[in-house]
Amino acid sequence: MDNTAPITIHSWPRAILHLDADAFFASCEQAIHPELKGKPVITGKERGIVAAASYEAKACGVKRGVRLSDVKKLCPDAIILPSDYETYSLFSLRMFGIIRRFTPDVEEYSIDEAFADLTGLRRNFHGPYSLIARKMQEAVERELGITVSIGVSLSKVLAKMGSKHKKPHGITMIPGREIHGYLRNLPIQSVWGIGPNTAAFMRKFGIDTALDFALKNEEFVTKRLSKPYQEVWHELNGRSIYPVTTESKSSYQSISKTRTFTPPSKDETFVFAQLSKNLENACIKARRYGLAATRLIVFLRKQDFTDSGVQLKLTCPTAHPSALFSLLREGFDHLYRPTTLYRQTGVVLAGLIAETAVQYTLFDDTAQIEKMSKVYEAVDMLSEKFGKYTVRHAVSLPTKIQSQHEGERGDVPQRKQELFKGENNRQRLGLPVLDVKV
Amino acid sequence: MKDKPKDGKLRSRIRDISLFYHKKGRMPSFSEMGELTGLRSKNSVSKLVDKLDRLKVIGKDAKGRLIPRSIAASVRILGSVEAGFPSPAEEELADTLSLDDLLIENPDATFLLRVSGDSMSEAGILPGDMVIVDRGQTPKSGDIVIAEVDGQWTMKYLRKRGESITLIPANPNYKPIKAKNELKIAGVVTAVVRKYR
Repeated sequence: MDNTAPITIHSWPRAILHLDADAFFASCEQAIHPELKGKPVITGKERGIVAAASYEAKACGVKRGVRLSDVKKLCPDAIILPSDYETYSLFSLRMFGIIRRFTPDVEEYSIDEAFADLTGLRRNFHGPYSLIARKMQEAVERELGITVSIGVSLSKVLAKMGSKHKKPHGITMIPGREIHGYLRNLPIQSVWGIGPNTAAFMRKFGIDTALDFALKNEEFVTKRLSKPYQEVWHELNGRSIYPVTTESKSSYQSISKTRTFTPPSKDETFVFAQLSKNLENACIKARRYGLAATRLIVFLRKQDFTDSGVQLKLTCPTAHPSALFSLLREGFDHLYRPTTLYRQTGVVLAGLIAETAVQYTLFDDTAQIEKMSKVYEAVDMLSEKFGKYTVRHAVSLPTKIQSQHEGERGDVPQRKQELFKGENNRQRLGLPVLDVKV
Repeated sequence: MKDKPKDGKLRSRIRDISLFYHKKGRMPSFSEMGELTGLRSKNSVSKLVDKLDRLKVIGKDAKGRLIPRSIAASVRILGSVEAGFPSPAEEELADTLSLDDLLIENPDATFLLRVSGDSMSEAGILPGDMVIVDRGQTPKSGDIVIAEVDGQWTMKYLRKRGESITLIPANPNYKPIKAKNELKIAGVVTAVVRKYR
């Protein structure tokens, strides 16, 4: 097959942009602590592993997930900071806000990634799509002080490939007639949406690169591959299938909450309190989205990083901790060994269904359930007004016996240390704070 | 007025309906309205709706569905007319700015900064104050800016004279700084916030 010919001769039937922030968490830290610019910065101090590493740190070989004790060997000058998710979230919202100035069709794909549909905007900006991409990149850099990489092409899969092509601070434009050049050098397993198993399957048919796949005929694709991969095939050929979904996430399949604490503990009350706090948090989120769980998964992580977990079925779907505590206790008693040290607990609310779709059985005490709905509605209202955890279950209180992380890991972000008059531990001003001495 | 004693009750009903609207982002149905207000029959709800319609608190569309009117306005802006009662002042207040709107011009590009030094004390910026820094604006001569000079961050007046750029403190104990190398400006100070209690 001829693989030097363009896949399509149309340059821009669609223009989909993918924006990916460069080392996002570390970049945010460098933006609010300007003296850290150009230095190896690592976040994740409280977790004991690298959550994000700046490009300077990556240059020393530091990768995500590496233990911090190993980082000190790889990169002795690394500046290790506790994660400041409040600031990262503020930056994320602003980044999306800036992109929306260019086009209303923006999909918030993750905290540091977005898709945007630019189709038809050239006349508005009096220039090519590359100009729009550059203006967007400059606006984010000037206003937020972080760099981003951008890919623009005919479909989401191609745009995502573009933003990865040149990082950090790159812009990669892939018009229709140049797609084949980019696909030729891309191994099949690096294509978005194709996992190791599918890649191995495709290699059996002589598909080694993304281009090999894109050039396969439709008959092969429909006969051998399932729908998700057929869609990827179309996308690689420059036919946009995946829409840019602009509405924010309104539903979940499952909600999970985990917490690590240092030092590890074997105290039954304390470990259970950690678990119940997770349950409360997960339920708060479920109620916010009007969901109820049908299954509850409980797990404990031991000091040696091995996990034990159990899945429990609920008799009646709910998002009320009070209705779940007995089950949680059951799961906990099943897992907990008094002589073992635990470092993390977690709960997952799974099989989520809309709260309004819950069917009660003849034996459910609906009056009691109704009563509890009112109680939790009030609890949520109070939290909204006075901050999270204004009202909570007493069983979670023992989490206060020790702070979440003691010792070196217990460092908290600047933002939470120095409060402005009127701010408190639960509520702070919704603006990032620059940490400069002037 | 004739229905003075009921005033408080009506007010609290309007507040409940307004809370519902702001929380759920939609108007309650008639039966939900009955639950909210404690009215058992649809007829009494309907009477209440007509009354609120006359007061321009809520309205009805062509199909008779409820639409928010004065309760749709932000509760906070209206301050003392919290329940959204129609009053002569309301028209005037509809276009007011919140403190946020006043202090923050570019919400995406605005940062806070806690002042630690006293080099701008004569300009009324004292240690412990919070300044609002806009990164989106182009600094002009005469602006107060956050800048980095030779590895040191500072807050000063910016003075541009042709090619030369000088940073001028508002405290006679400090000297003006002429940028020798590159001058990095992190943003323009647009406001200062000091909270006393």
